[in-house]
Parts: sequence; C-alpha cells; structure tokens
Amino acid sequence: MAQNISKPVKHHAAAEFSRPLRLSVTEDLRGFLAEKIGHGLLFLTTFVSVLAVMAIFYFVIQESLPFILKGGFRESILRVREFLTSTEWYPQKAENPHFGALAIIVGSLYVTICSLAIAVPIGVLAAIFLSDIAPFSVRQYCKPVIEILAAIPSVAYGVFAVMVVAPWLQNTLGFSTGTNALNASLILSIMALPTIISVAEDALSAVGREIREASYGLGATRAETTVKVVIPAAHSGIIAAVILGMMRAIGETMVVWMASGNSSRIPSPWWDLSQSVRTMTATIAGELGEVPKDTDHYHVLFAIGLLLLIFTFGLNMTSEFFMAKFKKRSRGL
Amino acid sequence: MRLRIRQTWNHLFTLFSAGSVVLLAAALLVFLIPMIRKGAKAVVFRGTVEFRKMQVEQFDRGNTEALQKEIEQTRQVRQKIYAILDQFSSGLDTEKLADEVKNLYRDYGQLLRYQEIPKERYTELRDRAKEIRDHLLDAFASIDKDEINTHLDAVESLRDKDAFSGTPIETMFTMANDFQALIQHIDLSQRAVYAEELTKVQEEIYNLFGPRPDEATPQLAMKRFGATRWDVAQKHLEYLVWQEKWVPSDDGQMLVLKKVRRDDPQNGSFAGTELAPLFSLVENTLAETLHPRFKVYWQYFIDDSTPGHYFGGVGPEVLGTLVLTLLAMCFSIPPGVISAAYLVEYAGDNTIVKIIRICINTLAGVPSIVYGLFGLAFFVAYITTQPSILSASLTLSLLVLPVIIRASEEAIRSVPQTYREAAMGLGAGKFRTFLTVTLPAAGPGILTGIILSLSRAAGDTATILFTGAVALGPIPNFAGKWWMQPTRALSYGCYDITVGDKLAMMVPHNQFGMVMTLIVLVLCLNIVAIVIRSRMTKKLRGM
Repeated sequence: MAQNISKPVKHHAAAEFSRPLRLSVTEDLRGFLAEKIGHGLLFLTTFVSVLAVMAIFYFVIQESLPFILKGGFRESILRVREFLTSTEWYPQKAENPHFGALAIIVGSLYVTICSLAIAVPIGVLAAIFLSDIAPFSVRQYCKPVIEILAAIPSVAYGVFAVMVVAPWLQNTLGFSTGTNALNASLILSIMALPTIISVAEDALSAVGREIREASYGLGATRAETTVKVVIPAAHSGIIAAVILGMMRAIGETMVVWMASGNSSRIPSPWWDLSQSVRTMTATIAGELGEVPKDTDHYHVLFAIGLLLLIFTFGLNMTSEFFMAKFKKRSRGL
Repeated sequence: MRLRIRQTWNHLFTLFSAGSVVLLAAALLVFLIPMIRKGAKAVVFRGTVEFRKMQVEQFDRGNTEALQKEIEQTRQVRQKIYAILDQFSSGLDTEKLADEVKNLYRDYGQLLRYQEIPKERYTELRDRAKEIRDHLLDAFASIDKDEINTHLDAVESLRDKDAFSGTPIETMFTMANDFQALIQHIDLSQRAVYAEELTKVQEEIYNLFGPRPDEATPQLAMKRFGATRWDVAQKHLEYLVWQEKWVPSDDGQMLVLKKVRRDDPQNGSFAGTELAPLFSLVENTLAETLHPRFKVYWQYFIDDSTPGHYFGGVGPEVLGTLVLTLLAMCFSIPPGVISAAYLVEYAGDNTIVKIIRICINTLAGVPSIVYGLFGLAFFVAYITTQPSILSASLTLSLLVLPVIIRASEEAIRSVPQTYREAAMGLGAGKFRTFLTVTLPAAGPGILTGIILSLSRAAGDTATILFTGAVALGPIPNFAGKWWMQPTRALSYGCYDITVGDKLAMMVPHNQFGMVMTLIVLVLCLNIVAIVIRSRMTKKLRGM
C-alpha cells in the first residue's frame, strides 16, 4: 500500500481512493486560503451579535455614568442610595431635584408579578393541554392562535387597554380610574402567555414517552401523571418558561406606559390593584423625549435603563441555567 | 369511591386545561373583534355630501360637476334652517342690534348733511332720528316686556312716512317690528340662557353643515367641512336636539339632571320660541341636507391626513413603516442568515461559540426600550446626529437580528443530513453544498423567520420612539438625503393618536382605523408565515 501512495499514478480511478482526498496546503493554496478567509469572515459576521451586546452595555453604561459618578465618591454613593431606596421622584425640579426610583422599580415588579400570577397558571395548563391532552388536529389550530397573540404589536394592545379595557373597568366595574395596575397586568399577562406556553410546551414534550407510559402502567390517571411525573421531570424547563415570560412582562413598554396610569408611588395597601403605578420602561419612554441632553435627568433615565438591562440580563442567565439543566436532565433520562 | 374521586379530578384537570386554551382563544377574539370592527369604520362608512366635498378639495378626487349639483340641492334645504336660526339669533343678540342701530343713525346723519334742506328741518329730522335711536337702544337694553313695548310704541309714533322712506331710519322701524314680534314668544329674563344655548345650537349646526356658503373659508382644514360621515352627523344631531338640563322631577319636589329635547314644550330651553321648529326640521331633513351614501374609502391606506388625523388616512404612516422595516431587514438579513449558517455548519462546541449563543439569547431578551436608549446614545449621537430613518432602522435591525438568527438556525438544522451527504458525494465542497443545496432547502424556513421578524419590526414602538419616529413630519420622498429625516410610523402613530393627540380624540374612527391598519398588516404577515410553514412541514413529511 505504502508503495502505491508514493508512486505517481496517472489519474487512475482506483488509486484516488488509496490516498486521502483532502489536498495538502501546498497542493491547494488557493483553496486553503479561501476556506480560512471564508471561515474567518463568517465568524466575524457571527461575532456581530456579541459586538451588539457589548455595544449596548457600553453605551447604556456610558450615558448613565455621569449620573452615578457625579461629584465625589461619597456623593455618588449617596446618589445611588437615594436612587435605589427613595420614592421621591422629582427629577424636573430646578433646584434640589430628587431621583428616588424605588417606587418606579417596585411598580415594574408589581405589574410583572401580578401579570405572572394570571399568566403562569393559565399558561402552564394550556401547555399541558397542548402537549399531553389535545389531539393533533386540535393542536394544529391552537398553535396559530398563540402565534398571533404573540405577534400582535404591543402598541395595539396598549390602544386596546386604553380605549376598550379602561372604559370598561371604569364604567362597568366602577373603578375610579380605568388606567391602573389591574389593567396593565391583565394585558401584560396576555402578552406573556405565548412565551410561557411555547417554552413550557417544548419542555413538557421533551419529557420522554416512556416515563408517562410507566406512570399510566402503574394505574395513574392523566392528571396524576401530569402533576406528579411530567411536571417534576420538566420543572426546570417550566421555570425557564416563567422567567422568559417575566422578561417579556418587565421589558414591555407601550402597554404599561398607556395602561398603568403612571403615578410614581408604591400602591398602598399593597393588594389594591385599582391604583395607578409607574414602571421603569414607562418612565424612560415618557420622560426621555422631553429632557434636554446631558442633564442629570437625562442620565438618570439611562441609569434606569441600565437597571432594566441588568434585570433582564440576570433573568436571562437564570433561564439559561435552568434550560441547560433541563437539557442535561432530559438527555440523561 | 376513591376511584370516583380520582376520576373526577382527572376530568376536572382536563376541563381546566382545555378551558385555559379556550380562554386564550377568547382573549384573542375579545381583542381582535372590537379593534377590527371599530377600525373598519374608518374605511367602510356612509359618507355625506361634506365628505365628497372634502375629497374634492383636499385630495382632488371625485366628480366636481355632480358634487356642485348635490351641493345645490342640499343648499336649498339648508337655507330654510339658516333662515330660522338667523331670525332668532338676530333678535336675541341685542348688542349686535344696538351696534346696528348706531351705525344706521350715523349713516342717516351723513345722508342728511349732504342733502339740500332748510336748517330747521335738518334739526328736526336729526332730533327725531336721535329719539328713535335712543328708544330702540333702551328697548334692546331692557328685559321688561312692558317697558320694551312702551319704547317700541314710542318709536312707532315717531314714524313719518314721507321723511324717512328710503332712508336708514326705515330699517330701524323694521327692526323694531321684528323685535316686537320676537319678544312675544320668549322670556326675556332668560335672555342670557338663550344666548348660551344658542351658541351651542349654532356650533352643532356648524358641525353638521360646515361653514355657510357666504362665509370665508376657515384656516383649519377640520373647520372647513361639516359632518363628513353619517354616524358623526347622527351624533351631532343628538347634541343639537337633546340637552342636559336640571328639570323638576315628576313629583315636583326637587331638580334632577335629565336629558330633554331643546324644543320640549315643558322643559326645553327653546320651548315656544321661534327657534323650536328648527329642531324637528333638522331632524327630518338630515338625509336631504347631507345626502349620505355608502362608501368604501380604500384610499384611507394611502391618503395623507390633515393635522390631528381629523380627515384623511394613514398613507404616510404606512409608507414610513414599510421604509423602516424594509431597511431594517436589509441590515439584519445578511448577518442573521450568515450567523445561523456559521453556527450550524461550521461552529464547533467551543467556548467562543457558547459565548456567541449566550449573547444572541441576551440580545433577544433586551427590552425594546433599552434598544431605543442604545439607538439614541449610539446611532443618533454618533452616526446621524439627529433622529432619522437610518438610525431607527439600524436600531430595529438589531432588535430583529436574534429572531432571524434563531429562525434561520432552526431552518438550516432541519434540512436532512442526507441532502448534504448527497451533495458532498457528488463532489461539492462544503461552501457549495451550503449555497446550492442546504440554503434552498432551508429557504422557506428562513423566509418564515424573516416575515415574522418583519412583523415584529413593524409593530415595535419603544425602539423607534427616540430614534426616528415623529407624530407629524415629512413623508419620505426618496429625494436628497431622505434617510436622514425622521418619519412617521404606524406603531408610533397608534400611540400618538390614542394618547398624545387631543384633536384625534374627536375622531375615534380614525384612531381605531390606524390601529386596525397596523394589526391587519401584522396579521397578514403572520398568516403568510404560517401558511408557508405548514406547506413546508407537509413537504418535509411527504419526503
């Protein structure tokens, strides 16, 4: 064999297979370079996403730093403390403005949690229905419904909240104002539902058929199988779904801006959903258009944006963690 | 027994699960039906003659001759209404009457001065005219019927056929007679109330019929036409005929706020006055005065609008949205598809690829308002120096990049491995295999992803809020540096028209019309994507 290789064979078909097909670098320099350069270019293009994430972080931090680092070290600590713990949000006052964003942060979390309280039970149940209960023909018609719910622009939901839901709340149910936390939470839950359903359904479908069958074999009903076997097996995936839904809700701007009433105070008593709240996204959207550039107010809005970015980044990492755990588990099963 | 309970639980569970899906579908319907139904009114409605007039004058569209004929027909009926209104209002507006009398007196003075008459005669006539004037002024100023009557009788007694015939003073006598006729019917102590109510009536008549033919054309476009739509006309008719008034309750004990007709014989403000017939006249002849006709106003989607979206359509917004999204697609499709190809075909499972994947997921999770902040701090600040189409579409392209990457990755991954093996077996290189076999096979999937991200970009508002969307602005004209101008967009327009614009609150059909346009655009894109995908899955399963 070795002799065959060293011997030059004049385009003999049988001999082609006797040596490796790949040409060496010296034999095919152009091909080699083309592949390497092409590979490099492809990699660079793919790297755009990384650059974009880095650029987003960089510019949002850059614009919020003048607020955080203004004055001395002590002063900046005080400012950040006020930002995170005070509810006094008077950024437009000419002298001695206050930048306490606590009420705004709480408002964001408030509507997010309220909307999840509505969306998670419905979403998980719907995911169970789609993955375990519904026959294929029904599922075929349910999927587009969910997709269309996800596709409707948030501003359209916002208009719906202002023009349809708010008058209904006010006139029919007798709330003092139609644009309140309840309105925003209701609409946000509709917006978070498609995300929760599709991710949770993927998680539930990924649970192997065998363990379901094992459970049925032991005489369990479908409800027992789902609650005691399938959901525990898919729990990391479902948690990831809930987190993704939360990200959708907390990052949503137009609906909360239009439907939440925008009053920056913490609802008290805490369970009173009929009060107006204000969220981080709505604050940025509502105020950034009016502030002059390079003022404290301008930079503090970027600081809120940075906080939002950190929130969503943290949530994203958590969901990635649960997703990875789920994948590992379902592969292991 | 236990088995029964377990089974009941099981059924309940199934029921609740199915119920939640039904709830979702119901939510979708509850959202879509009112939005589309109310929005459709912007396009399909009964247009009045004022609408056709508006179309001719503002948009240069329609048959001018037929319109003139129609206006002529309606004018005859309207004339009657105006006549009643004028007669009543001229009698009521005593200040105007007093001014008129003073003017008439001055005119008469001028007339006398240039006449060849003896001095004594001149003084006599002058004094008498002055007396008439003063009596009339007193009569107009008074609210006591008897006092007015004495003044008017005094005027009558001063009438001198020979001396005043053909002079301005004769007009004064006519005015005196009219005024006398008028005060027979009205309660003079209520004159202020009449005046107030009359302004409302006049306003509603204006809202119905627009400016009168002899009036100067108003500056504002919204003031130039009456009720252009039959439903709006009905609404104004109701405001015209009905009033909210504190009236005695049935037992007469207290006052209650009630809706009564303005010409209601008991409680109406204008009961028994000369104006009373006006209301039933307008009510009965509304169809003749406005000529409502069924209209499909499809040009709504291409027409420009007057300020506040009072008239016209959403043409510039649709165009702006199309320009923004298509540009964003141009920026994001090439890197998106290439990234997906790299991740599937070339990338191994090393740390850098992991980082890239995390970054793509992060990018997908960044709230759109933060994209807007980034666009403001980078694209607007460093690249275009002002909010513009370019910076808005660049920001949008970042927003949809992860969507495109994920969809394309999935599509490329779902191409069966056998395709690649077959191509390679025929001697094609990796690159050629991808370009000629994998990419076409993944094409429909990638296309689905692109269409979905198109709809995402079209609907996103927070991203373009600070980077290039304006409520009122130039229409992209594709001349010069059009990409450096801001533009109107459907998504931002929807926000502005419902919350920001006070003028638009008066035209809810146009508010819903714009939202409907956006929803229909997005829905169509999604339905196309769903159809492409279902055909694709069928094809894949068939093989």
